[in-house]
Amino acid sequence: MKARLTARSVVALSSVIAIAITGAVAVPAHAARSTVIIEESNTFTSLNSGTPDNNITINSDISYMTNMGLWHYDNNTNIVTNPVLGSIKVTKNTPTDFEVTYKINPGRVWSDGAPITAADLLLTHVLTSSAYSVKAGLGDPSNPDVTPAFNSGFYTGVYDQHVVGIPTLSADGMSMTVKYNAQIPDYVLNGPSTPFPVHALELAAAGKKSLPSVAEANAATAQFVKDVTSYNTASLKKMGALYTTGYDMTTVDASTNPLLLVSNGAYQVASVDVNQAKLVLNPKYNSGPATSGITTIVMKQGIADGAPSAQALANKDVDAYQGQPTADTIAQIKAIKGVTLVTPSSFAYEHIELRVASQDGKAYNGPFAASGGAKAAALRKAFLLAYPRADIVTKLIKPINPDAEVLGSTWTLPGSPGYSDVAANNGSAAYNAGTQAERTAAALKLVQQYYPTAGKSTPVKVNLLWGSPGNARRTSEAALIIAEEAKAGFAVTAPATKGWGGKLTDSAYDAHFFIFDQTAVPQDAQACGTFKTGAGSNYTGYSNKKVDDACTQLQAKTLPASTVHRLQIVAERQLNTDAFFLGIFQNPNVTAWDSAIQGIKPAPLSPTLVWNFWEWHF
Amino acid sequence: MIAYLGRRFSALIIILFGSSFILYNLAAVSGDPTEALRGSTDPKARQQLYALIRQLHLNVPPPTRYFLWLKGLLGVFTGHATFGVTRENIPVTSLLSQAIPTTIRLILMATIIAIVLGIAFGIVSALRQYSRFDYAMTFVAFLMYSLPIFWIAVLLKQYLAISFNNFLANPVIAPSWIIVASVVSGIFWAALISGTRRKVQITFLVAALASAIVLIVLSLTKWFAHPGLGPILVCAMGIGIAYFVTFLSTGFGNKPAFKSALAMPIIGLVLYYPVNYFFKHFAGLLTILVMALVTVLIAILVARFFAKVDRGPVIRTSIITGLLVGLIIIIDRLMQAFVPYFNTDAVNGRPIPTISQSNSLLPPGNFWFGLLDTLFHLFLPTIALTLISFAGYVRYSRGTLLEVLNQDYIRTARAKGLTERTVVMRHAFRNTLIPLTTIIVVDFAAIIGGAIITERVFAWQGMGTLFNKAITDLDLNLLMGVFFVTSTLAVLANLAADLLYSALDPRIRVVGK
Repeated sequence: MKARLTARSVVALSSVIAIAITGAVAVPAHAARSTVIIEESNTFTSLNSGTPDNNITINSDISYMTNMGLWHYDNNTNIVTNPVLGSIKVTKNTPTDFEVTYKINPGRVWSDGAPITAADLLLTHVLTSSAYSVKAGLGDPSNPDVTPAFNSGFYTGVYDQHVVGIPTLSADGMSMTVKYNAQIPDYVLNGPSTPFPVHALELAAAGKKSLPSVAEANAATAQFVKDVTSYNTASLKKMGALYTTGYDMTTVDASTNPLLLVSNGAYQVASVDVNQAKLVLNPKYNSGPATSGITTIVMKQGIADGAPSAQALANKDVDAYQGQPTADTIAQIKAIKGVTLVTPSSFAYEHIELRVASQDGKAYNGPFAASGGAKAAALRKAFLLAYPRADIVTKLIKPINPDAEVLGSTWTLPGSPGYSDVAANNGSAAYNAGTQAERTAAALKLVQQYYPTAGKSTPVKVNLLWGSPGNARRTSEAALIIAEEAKAGFAVTAPATKGWGGKLTDSAYDAHFFIFDQTAVPQDAQACGTFKTGAGSNYTGYSNKKVDDACTQLQAKTLPASTVHRLQIVAERQLNTDAFFLGIFQNPNVTAWDSAIQGIKPAPLSPTLVWNFWEWHF
Repeated sequence: MIAYLGRRFSALIIILFGSSFILYNLAAVSGDPTEALRGSTDPKARQQLYALIRQLHLNVPPPTRYFLWLKGLLGVFTGHATFGVTRENIPVTSLLSQAIPTTIRLILMATIIAIVLGIAFGIVSALRQYSRFDYAMTFVAFLMYSLPIFWIAVLLKQYLAISFNNFLANPVIAPSWIIVASVVSGIFWAALISGTRRKVQITFLVAALASAIVLIVLSLTKWFAHPGLGPILVCAMGIGIAYFVTFLSTGFGNKPAFKSALAMPIIGLVLYYPVNYFFKHFAGLLTILVMALVTVLIAILVARFFAKVDRGPVIRTSIITGLLVGLIIIIDRLMQAFVPYFNTDAVNGRPIPTISQSNSLLPPGNFWFGLLDTLFHLFLPTIALTLISFAGYVRYSRGTLLEVLNQDYIRTARAKGLTERTVVMRHAFRNTLIPLTTIIVVDFAAIIGGAIITERVFAWQGMGTLFNKAITDLDLNLLMGVFFVTSTLAVLANLAADLLYSALDPRIRVVGK
């Protein structure tokens, strides 16, 4: 009896211990985290962010993390090349014959195991050269009424203007040489950068729905090269249709054609549903720097900027956030424990510009017209002097980014090398000297030369265009401008205008303020597009030979930095003398993340948040 | 009737096309889809601008452009009807078919809760007209009416998500909270029960004390960290339900009904472990449906056992009780799944989310995790929507019931000597539901339109979000797709409400002329 009891208790005791142990084992030990969740305000619409209609942040962020290119911009807007994948070299350098050779290192593979070759860079030519598109019967991209077969957003750039013929591939297929008719500057920026899995494009366009063997992939790549070099219109049109719309989707799951998901980045798209896109490590990745321990990156999409994002951060629903919130939301984020907040400047800057000539064919006789001679010049100068730039920055931007400053130059932005030199010598000091009251008084004197009653009344009528009535910051800006300009004798009419984008060339408006979004930092800093006679974003009708000359030189060939700065100073001094354009402030890129994540360094250019995702770790 | 329907349908078509034409043009002139590209200094921006103008037909004036859209829709006659594609090349129909279920999921539960609670409080409020409870309900209803949902959402997220998730790390309830919650509960029940001063005082004390004890036990056992009911509590709650359902359904005078209702929680206790066995090995929606069916069968058998005559009300009572007990058992099962759910990497100790409608990082294939995930994502938006829509139902049902209670047939019913329960539940309540039905039908149509702000704030990708996206991106195809579905349903629901009204209320007839 006793023995039996003991035996029973042993059994009981051991089972209790067993339960305790299994219980202890079953409790999951919280290992170091390896998932980063990024907040995205818009929703995923395409695996291909190269078409104009799908070039939105979440798509391009996902493309960036799933495709590794030959170079990227870092957080100081320097171009960093990727020696793991390959190299870019100038192989011929004369004024009329300029060749750049792209070499892919052997052994690099796509996520389906197929080798990456120089042929994968060849698609760039099809996507970028209007001449090729015309010759291959794919439609003329420069014709506003024609949709080219490959409806990419890359035509009409520097490459398009200067490339000669089709790039040639080396015998081993690992190098590609692009020939230009001029020594173009920024050949790295303007040339091919990220390989595209052309074998997958070729196979998917042919209706295939499964991953190929390496031999099949190689054959498809060879077929692609043949299609391109022989101008195979029918085949190219099929691929063009796929490129343009075939990658557009809102969900990715097991039913998605795996050929569309072939990539060479550190991560690959695992799934996308209505709420989130999930990226996981690409096991075959060998095209770039190694990742640092993050195994999964999730983009939670469709989250409204402002309080919802801040609270999602506080509740750890998301780990990293970037947006354009109000000062209230920033205070809310600051109050969250364990979250790092930075508000660096982006390369999108607000500016004021004055119309100097008609652009819509109607006669323009506004107060600032260049035809108005000395009087108009004085009025322009007065208007810019009285423009309350310092007030705008102090009241509207500094609450968000305490380091914000009034822009001294738009040809080179604060933080870029040479900014302080250019800003000090380009004549912008005239618009910063003294206090705003002093500047406004000086402006009033200029106006009074022609309108003696100015100061007591506002004799100069100015129609100011700005957009987006929902934009609270611009509404405040307009109010500040109207109040300050009135003191200098300007009667500014500035209603918020819907559809303002189409009215920028409208002679009914004498001035515009809006944001210019710089997408890259070429040698001319994309400024020539604004100031050169007849250029794409020249909405003021401005034309000056000195500025045009400087632009011609900046766009002709690579120059030493000192020469670039000298030309920038020459051009901007002229612009400031002509008094029709001033930068105001840079948009802050508000970025916040769980302090446990290391390595996040927001950059001013796209992809601002994720540019160095491989360095992230917990 | 047919003439009437014909007239309504032709009006419907005119309304739909007229309003879609007006909306299309208003939306087209309300902004400029090219704005972002105008501000780009990229030299390639101009070509991208051309592409956008081509794609959206921006060079066609809006009144003419409307007919381009209409042409796609009228393709229905040639078998090629299309709502077109969005600016991002996604077919509008595919987005709509994703968004409609999302919206229904989001709003259906909130609407049902709001209707049930609203009508319940409205009735009590009407029965206690001009009492403290009535005034309090009126005050609360108007307060809720006037609250902006984005503000409610911010508060809910702060206290019920962020703070509550923090609290779960160490779920001990502070004494001050226990005192406040107990007093509030005491006041609530005292006001609800009403009566003599002594009765009110006793109700207050009992309710407050009971709440305090429950909260202290929850706090001491850290119940929130590992919630659960167990068979005994399930049975005890079931007995409470049996009392409540019998009271409303038949009254305690009906002994067979009371007995069969009481039998249900006992059966629930007996079957607790077998049911949980099935839940463990055959988890899924089908199992739950089968079990609900079995419950109904058992309830009918039990009712037939206890009642020999007039079985209808008895069967009804036992079925309702049985299903509610079943619901408690499911809740208990969900609570068992809570701890492993709580500890997954995807949840990471913070079960209540402030955004999204699901978490795809959860390990797939676990039915209970999936259900918990759906419920937790529904939690905050449902509360927010219930709070604001419940007020309307309270006011409507209170007003209607008061009107009905003053009718002659109610006086007749009372004069017959019927109990107050029968008068209210059978004679007054049913007639109260007639006008409410029409309101509910129209409300359901509005549901499909989505709750624009709620969906945006809680990041749900439903109809409201689509509408919002269409407006901000000036995506006219998408906008018209959303509008067409919403307005068709609104017009049809109005028609359905009118027909339903005439079916429910014999005094009303629909006529063709």
